[in-house]
Parts: sequence; structure tokens; C-alpha cells
Amino acid sequence: MGKARVLVKRRKSVRNIRKITRTMELIATARFKKAMDRATEAAAYTKKINEIVADLSSADLTFTHPLLKQPAETKHVTLLLLTSNRGLCGGYNGGLLRTALARIREIQKEGLELQLEVSGKRGLNAMKFEQIPVDFKYTQFEDKPGFDEVNEIATRLVGDFIEGRTQRVEIVYQKFESAARQAPAIETLLPIGDLATDAGGSASGVDYEFLPSAEEILEELVPAAFKARFFKCFLDAAVGEQIARRVAMKAATENAGEMIRDISMEYNRARQTQITSELAEIIGGAAALE
Amino acid sequence: MIAATQLRLVLVTPEKTLLDVPVKSLQFPLFDGQIGVLPGRTPMVGRLGIGALQVVSESGSQTYFIDGGFAQIKGSIVTLLTNKALPLDQIDAAAAEKDLAKAMAVLPKTDSEFSEKELEIERARKQIGMRRWMN
Repeated sequence: MGKARVLVKRRKSVRNIRKITRTMELIATARFKKAMDRATEAAAYTKKINEIVADLSSADLTFTHPLLKQPAETKHVTLLLLTSNRGLCGGYNGGLLRTALARIREIQKEGLELQLEVSGKRGLNAMKFEQIPVDFKYTQFEDKPGFDEVNEIATRLVGDFIEGRTQRVEIVYQKFESAARQAPAIETLLPIGDLATDAGGSASGVDYEFLPSAEEILEELVPAAFKARFFKCFLDAAVGEQIARRVAMKAATENAGEMIRDISMEYNRARQTQITSELAEIIGGAAALE
Repeated sequence: MIAATQLRLVLVTPEKTLLDVPVKSLQFPLFDGQIGVLPGRTPMVGRLGIGALQVVSESGSQTYFIDGGFAQIKGSIVTLLTNKALPLDQIDAAAAEKDLAKAMAVLPKTDSEFSEKELEIERARKQIGMRRWMN
């Protein structure tokens, strides 16, 4: 009877785990939908910014702004890594960390100064393990990053860049390509290579009145475009995390189901064997009495 | 040509599109003072200031606090891009007072700190002012 008891116990614990992973999957699905809605809503802002950029470029204006200018030489690089606060999301953090560590090694090999900023407990723990010092730590970003919080970081980065404390700002995050495809990506945020990369709107040919002037609008517009892009990275990361968790938990639930089936089968066999042997004993005993 | 009679306001923040409604007229702060827009306005791109956005629609008028950004007027559509937009009744005067006191206490040393302080003060004062005006 020993073996059958053990199997029953195990099956029970696997069932409990399946309950948990299924719940987590459902929660991740709900959060993913919300995060996705936020990302779509935020896209309107980026689109409009691009449209105004296109309008400005039709105003016959050379784009010069400190944020657009490639520094003469790069000595100091700021790398921002966005990971999640919680685990149980499959290869999400692993992929990001692999990409980030490779990039950190590369920067160190080139002999550049590195300022590392990490968001998310998972990334912070990994950096502690790798013994890489982290200059700025953030753990306040969950699945709903707010613009105000992100804006603070963006403002500091812009200040650092303009005052020459850093010559390049890069970000490692989970880039959202489609609901079925996200991949860790490294992007250079500053200097801004091309203002209207997303090709939001082509010049509309409308003759605008610029208040106060096209130059002064541009001066404000460039940081705004950077901030919008920066915010989008955070939103993408939040969406990516939820998708990764949903996929991981779906697989876990399926595996648990499979395991329960296997264990049940084994348990039934063990029980059957036991019954057979008991019967054999009884028959054997009865035969001996005759 | 028949005069344009339609006007549509789209108010966008980085987080979401707050408003997308037909309006009769609206007023908002540009970098140097309030501007009023009626249907048929010439296309314009402008820098927003800090202050009150007043929307007059069929159902009445609404007031929002907006914090910088850009305005684009194209045809009958007015798009306002702003970092922050708050309906009048959500303005927290007490928090604004606190921000004002905090901003006043800062001793700026560089140009950027100085302009930051001025901005903070303006932001807080405008919010307090709008709140008072409501009461």
C-alpha cells in the first residue's frame, strides 16, 4: 500500500500547483489586456508628436538641437535595463539579462565609463550576483508605469546628456513587435538619431502659423518626443512581462495536467497490482485450507 | 465659401486620449497668454503654456488645468498635446500649496534650476488660482 499512498499525495500537490498556475495565467491575461490598452492609448500621443515633427520639417527648418547632436567622442555611456519585479515569467528576465550583460561587457571592453541603471528586483539581484555596481535602482514600476514617474527619470537623463555628463543613453527592454512576438532589444535613446523614425505622418502640405516660431517649438518638441519614446519603452516592457508570464503559466498548467494524468495512471496500476496480489493471497490461503 | 461651423477638440496626454469631442469654441493658454479658437481658425502649431483650458460645447462648458505641451490646429480639428490635464474639480489645492512652498524654498544655483523653480511656482499658482476661481 506504501507506493499508492505516496502517489496520491503527489497527485494532490500537483493539483494544487496547477490551480495556482492556472490562476496566475488568468491574472496575467487580464493584466496583459490592460497593459495593452494603455500602450494603444499612449500611441496616440506619439503619433501626434510625429505629425507635428513632420509639419515642422515642411517649414523649411534645419533640425538642430542638443539632443539630436552626435557628441564628438563618447566616453560615458548610460545603460538602462528594464526587468520585472516578480519572477515566474519564463525566459523574460533571462533574455534581457543576457542581452544586457553582453552589452555591459562590450562597453567595458571598449574602455568606456558605464553608468548602469536597473529597474526591477530581478535585474537588481542578477547584478548583485554578477557583482556589477548599479548606480540607480528602481523597483516602483509594476504593470502600470505612470508618465509622471517615468518623466522624472527622463528629465534627469536629458539633463545629464545636455550637460555632457553622459554621451550616450541606451536602453535594454523587451520590445513589443506583436502580441505573439517580443524580443529583448538594445536601443540608443540619446542622441536621437532620427526624430521621426516611426514615420507617423508625412508632410500634410498645410500652411501653418507657428507660435512663437518653428525653432522655439522644435526646442520643446525634441525633449517631448524623447520622453514619449522613453515612456513607450516602459509600456512595452510591462506588456512583454505579462505576455511572458501568461505563456509560462499556460505551459506550466499544461505540464501539471500531463503530470496528473501520468501519476493517476501509475497510481491505478499500483492499486490494481495490490488488489491482484491480495486476491492471489486469499485464493492461495483458501486452497491451502481444503 | 461657406464659413466653417465645426470644431473638434482632441486632448491627448502621454497616457491616454482624454477628450475627443465636438465643441463650439475653446480657450487655452499659449506660451504668452490665452488664445481663443472658433471654427474656421487658420492652421496653427503652437507651444502651450500652463493654465486653464476652457471648452464650450453644446452641453455646457468645462474647465481643465493643462501643463505645457503643444497645440495643433488643422482644418476643424484642434489637437492639444500636454503632459498633464486635470479637470477643474480634481485639482488638489492643498497639494499645490505644498508644492508652492517647496518650490519657494529652493535656492537655484544654475540657469536650469532657476527656470525649473519658476515653472514649479507658476504651475502651483495657476492651480491654486483656478481652484479659487471655482469657489
